[in-house]
Amino acid sequence: MTAAAEPLPLAGRSRGGGLVDIAAILLLALVWEIVGRLDVSMFVPPLSSVAVAWWRLAADGTLLRAASSSLVSLVQGFVPAAVLGVALGLAMGRFAALRHVLDGWVNTLMSAPLSALVPVLIALFGIRDTVVAAAVFVFSFFVIVVNTMTGVRGTERSLVEMARSFGAGEVAQFRRVYLPSALPAIMLGLRLGAVQAVKGMVVGEMLISLVGLGERLIYYGNTFLITDLYAVIVTVLVIALGVSQLAQSADRALVHWK
Amino acid sequence: MADVMTAELAPIDRGVPSPSVGIAVESVSKAFGTVTALADVTVRVAAGEFVTLIGPSGCGKTTLLKIIAGLVLPDGGRVLVDGRPVTGPRRECSLVFQDFALLPWATVQRNVEFGLLLRGARAGERAAIARRYVTKVGLAGFEDAYPAQLSGGMQQRVGLARALAVDPRVLLMDEPFASIDEQTRRLFQDDLLALWSEERKTVVFVTHSMEEAIYLSDRVVVLSPRPGRVHRVLDVPLPRPREATDVRATVEFTRLVDNLWKILRKLQ
Amino acid sequence: MILTLRLGSVVAFLLVWEWAARVPVSFNFPSPLATLLALIALVRSGALPAATVTSLGSLLLGFGAAVIVGVPLGLLMGTVPPLGRLTRVYLDLLIALPTAALVPLVILSVGINVVSSAVIVFAFSAPFVTMNAYGGVREVRPRLVEMARAFDATWGQLFARIVLPSALPMILAGIRYGLSRAFVGLVVAELLLSPFGLGRLIMASRSMFEHDRMFATVLWTLLLAAAALALLGRLETRWLRWRT
Repeated sequence: MTAAAEPLPLAGRSRGGGLVDIAAILLLALVWEIVGRLDVSMFVPPLSSVAVAWWRLAADGTLLRAASSSLVSLVQGFVPAAVLGVALGLAMGRFAALRHVLDGWVNTLMSAPLSALVPVLIALFGIRDTVVAAAVFVFSFFVIVVNTMTGVRGTERSLVEMARSFGAGEVAQFRRVYLPSALPAIMLGLRLGAVQAVKGMVVGEMLISLVGLGERLIYYGNTFLITDLYAVIVTVLVIALGVSQLAQSADRALVHWK
Repeated sequence: MADVMTAELAPIDRGVPSPSVGIAVESVSKAFGTVTALADVTVRVAAGEFVTLIGPSGCGKTTLLKIIAGLVLPDGGRVLVDGRPVTGPRRECSLVFQDFALLPWATVQRNVEFGLLLRGARAGERAAIARRYVTKVGLAGFEDAYPAQLSGGMQQRVGLARALAVDPRVLLMDEPFASIDEQTRRLFQDDLLALWSEERKTVVFVTHSMEEAIYLSDRVVVLSPRPGRVHRVLDVPLPRPREATDVRATVEFTRLVDNLWKILRKLQ
Repeated sequence: MILTLRLGSVVAFLLVWEWAARVPVSFNFPSPLATLLALIALVRSGALPAATVTSLGSLLLGFGAAVIVGVPLGLLMGTVPPLGRLTRVYLDLLIALPTAALVPLVILSVGINVVSSAVIVFAFSAPFVTMNAYGGVREVRPRLVEMARAFDATWGQLFARIVLPSALPMILAGIRYGLSRAFVGLVVAELLLSPFGLGRLIMASRSMFEHDRMFATVLWTLLLAAAALALLGRLETRWLRWRT
């Protein structure tokens, strides 16, 4: 047989950007410190004071307590949302009738101001931490369903036909063609869902004002403890970035062929 | 569902490939809504014969191929493969697709194993057979590459390996070289003929290239458009083997291509 | 057929709701009928219209500002690549941060009034509007720019006739997404600030255990958001006819 050419390398993610990102953040830190020192406003403390406050809160366990409560609620809400969301998305992708019945609801709720539902959740569960997990669920569920469904529906017809030609029945077609084909979209849905989950966690906690980082935000806001407030905001940002990174790594690990 | 295999379980591991079988298309007709794609098509393909279906756009050649493959059921008439009517995808038949239809998430090795997997071969056998065919199509060393890393020609070789790995008796090819550049295509045509002469399968080949049709086949079936009917059947009495020869430069070859063109031109 | 299924799902939803209201699951779970009556009462009393107007006022203020600031900023980022590359780091951070976390800070610095509501709406929507405008400029086909340059186009002509029309679909998409985010921001702001507007109505009804009123207001808010987005979607389709 005639010899074939060299394989092309798999497209990689751009690496050079990392340095610019770090430089930009350092610049921000610098500006923040300077502006803070200049005492432009009592609401913009210097970065160093925020760092000190953060350290204090970390040392006395406040941050740990609040963060662990938040993260537990996050997991309690996200895991069911992921499992049920993917399941429903697969079903809706596969069965047109189900899709026609539900997709109006799901699409609308995906971009709706879901925080409006948190008071409803409070009415249902009372003022307790279950509300936070419920809010996390509601915030992430719909985006997971929609992306999963889109993934299944985007399966190339010719691949299904090819599988049929080799004798694959409905179940084999689903397992070996529809499902792997939908995986990138499912992972995207889970990534977006994770980001939404963190938002639901914060909103939920702020509204019930009982536990977690959200509660700390409300508390420090009410008591004018500005540097402590900033410290918590930074913590929330770090957690949000961490969750997003985790999701991205999971995506890259599972979707290894793109 | 018409997905149930109708033939008996053919032994997968083999030193000797299974003998080819004949195809009988009897008065097949097919309509899609108000459009009649095929009307009363009758074609016979002898075991081990290489037949090409050709015709202008809309003549239903791909539809006919899919009907033979059992992916589409005709409205009227029937297709017999090895004497038995086709009611769904058959073990004896294997398809090669124009857009390659490779699983993007699987390596070359796994893609070639896919057909074997669906037909119930065990993991060890699958791997060995697949590796053999990967080498046969000239992709040794690329077993762990992904389709995205391969050129069009290489991807189609994977498609061909997959189709041959299940030891079919009939090879159905739907414009397999249409998405490949001409130079690669010519090499590939020779490789196909070489492989074919090793294991004489029955081949039904769809193309819109007249030159390709004459170069590859024993007979060329010309279909007329809307609705598709058998317009003419051309014999191609050129000697074999044709690969790596100068047959394209012969007068005979040129005459046959020209005849074919004259027939097709009247149908446009 | 599809319409029947969709209507059927609405009916099914109402039936499930009705059943849930009957079951003694939790206190005062209002039935669809009770919610509808409460909705009518709220409209009649003027409470709902007044709240809607106030809320929409903050929304327009904040969202309007987001578009007026965001689109030009995004276009600038796209035309001056180093600036774009730098600024997008900050925008990415703003987008990653759950914006609700900024609300207490806004309350502290701006107070509790219409402006603080608008500021929060701005914070929720501006980053997306900006990023989309930026993306729109970045994705202008280089071929078209080459072509225009070959015809000796001035910088102004290039921008107005090539860059802007090419970027328009993404800009509009960013505005539409920005609006949905603005509504999200509005509701969050009002639930947390709750001195006035729909959010206040929701929280006040809840604390007074007037669950039928709360449900009615929540439903109204969701419908309002959906309607506004649908309207914007229609407008977008009109302006982008050439895309089909």
